[in-house]
Amino acid sequence: MKILIIEDELGLQRSIVQYLMAEGNLCSMASTYAEALERLAVYDYDCILLDLTLPDGEGLQLLNYLKRMNKTEGVIIISARNSIEQKIEGLSLGADDYLIKPFHLSELNARILAVVRRKSAHGERHIEFNEIRIDLDAKEVIVNGKVVYMTKKEFDLLLYFVANKGKVISKSAAVEHIWGDDSDMADSFDFIYTHIKNIRKKLIDAGSKDYFHSVYGVGYKFTDI
Amino acid sequence: MRLFTRYNQILLIISLFGLLIIGILFYRMLVFYLDRQIDHDLVEEIMEVKEYSDKNSFYKPHEFEDLIVQYKKIKQARLLSIYADTVFYNPVKHRTESARYLKTEFEIVGQPYQVLVIASKFERQEQIRNICLIILLPVMLLFGLVLLVNRILLKKIWNPFEQLLKNITAFNISQENPYKSVDMPIMEFRQLNQVLVELSGKVKSDYDEIKLFTENASHEMMTPLAVINSKLDNMLQSNVLGKDDGETLVELYKATSRLTKLNQSLLLLVKIDNNLLQDEEKIHLKSLIEEKTVYFQELISERNLILDSALADVTIAASRQLLEILINNLFSNVIRHNYDGGMIEIRLNAEKIVFSNTGHNKALDPEKIFDRFYKDNSSEGTGLGLAILKQICNRQHYLLEYSYHHDLHTFTIKFNK
Repeated sequence: MKILIIEDELGLQRSIVQYLMAEGNLCSMASTYAEALERLAVYDYDCILLDLTLPDGEGLQLLNYLKRMNKTEGVIIISARNSIEQKIEGLSLGADDYLIKPFHLSELNARILAVVRRKSAHGERHIEFNEIRIDLDAKEVIVNGKVVYMTKKEFDLLLYFVANKGKVISKSAAVEHIWGDDSDMADSFDFIYTHIKNIRKKLIDAGSKDYFHSVYGVGYKFTDI
Repeated sequence: MRLFTRYNQILLIISLFGLLIIGILFYRMLVFYLDRQIDHDLVEEIMEVKEYSDKNSFYKPHEFEDLIVQYKKIKQARLLSIYADTVFYNPVKHRTESARYLKTEFEIVGQPYQVLVIASKFERQEQIRNICLIILLPVMLLFGLVLLVNRILLKKIWNPFEQLLKNITAFNISQENPYKSVDMPIMEFRQLNQVLVELSGKVKSDYDEIKLFTENASHEMMTPLAVINSKLDNMLQSNVLGKDDGETLVELYKATSRLTKLNQSLLLLVKIDNNLLQDEEKIHLKSLIEEKTVYFQELISERNLILDSALADVTIAASRQLLEILINNLFSNVIRHNYDGGMIEIRLNAEKIVFSNTGHNKALDPEKIFDRFYKDNSSEGTGLGLAILKQICNRQHYLLEYSYHHDLHTFTIKFNK
């Protein structure tokens, strides 16, 4: 996938690039409004990550530009401002998602995949990983043709891990993914273990291999190696 | 004590003392002058006696004159005249009366005599009493009138001041009630009002500035936090980390997550304060609580907590966002401060929501628990959860109370304050 990262904080920009390149994506970077405009005019991307506060302009203007040019790239706004108004404004100007800083790279990656999937013409509504098949519309997990019953949180968590397959996901990222940020419980990481244990058990019971690996006690990796 | 009362009290005491002293002085003067007059009469009587003595006879006063003259033979006449008060038997009126006498000695018809002239003071005393009454009555009347006028006038003059007091009391910085200026004719009050207008304006602008500062500071911190978070995520992908590194990463993730949470909570407080979340709608509280019960299910069962809830069908009009945060925080609180295998009780009826939980702590200080950053040492939270709760209740005009009995920490929210 070709991804454009418009972000003026270079530290963050480099981290995102490093993470996404490892996933096999092609990344270009822009740290100013002018630079971003230049790239958008010349190239097409699958997904654009857009920081709203740029040193020389408002990120929202770039959304207007994309609209005028009839470009259909998926756009994810990444902003430090957690305001409903800005979120609504961004989404109504054509952004596909709104991610609030600070975020985990695994979360960003999952969102990118979701946006690109939604945008793609074929609109694949299921994801496969070896013998596991995840139906996004029915919100069902099917292993070897059998439906495995999962709670909403378990389903979301599995999807999250599959989207970031081969990557280590920290407990912190997993907690934030299923709990959002409106609970005051995000600092209690350990119960995520229970969730993973349940998902694991259900998958193995249905005949799947065990793909979850605990890493350094920090997090988990979903991989078939 | 009210200002009127104090003022009237002092006025009354001083006036009474003043009147008393003036009254006594006035009376003494009056008595003195009237005595002088009687003395003068007495001297005239003596002159008469001397005139009669020149004609070789003894003077006898008329009966209606309330006056007697007594002669007493003595060996030798000295040159003296003594005035003094006495009582005498009035032979005309047949009663004892207070009187004044003049005692003198001279020769009558060649013989030395002591002559005593006694005059009744009765008439004069009557006169004094009448004069006093004539003066006292109008003075008392005037005095009463002054008090009354004072009262009415003071009340009228201080009226705007009372209004001013009311307006200061109503002034509330966090609920956007500005100080309402009062229009006043009195210069001093006008100055006070002016000072209050300026002061409240200054307080308000300082407060806004602090809010803005908190907001900006928290926002500014989000980007560096995003950098830290993303660097940690990348570091985690490395294949060369040891066990110690893993533990370090866990700690770093925890600290970053807490810092993020703290920042978000501060921003949320400012947002609630700025009234940014006020999308009022009808909310079915029972389903909201049930939804959140599912949301927190894993946390509850992870700690083997027993949940006992009795929910009535209650619908209220409120901001959905605020109510969700409210219920979230209540849940987080009863789970976090519980012990494994403890109890959670949730009650909902048309008047109130009640969340109770067992916990290690004894009763908490109800004055302090809603303060920002108040928490016990064992708490892993931000110390802002309850402050947010309080802020939301203030915003929605709910009454939030904490109590502790039967080993249960209880948070009660009453909808109608």
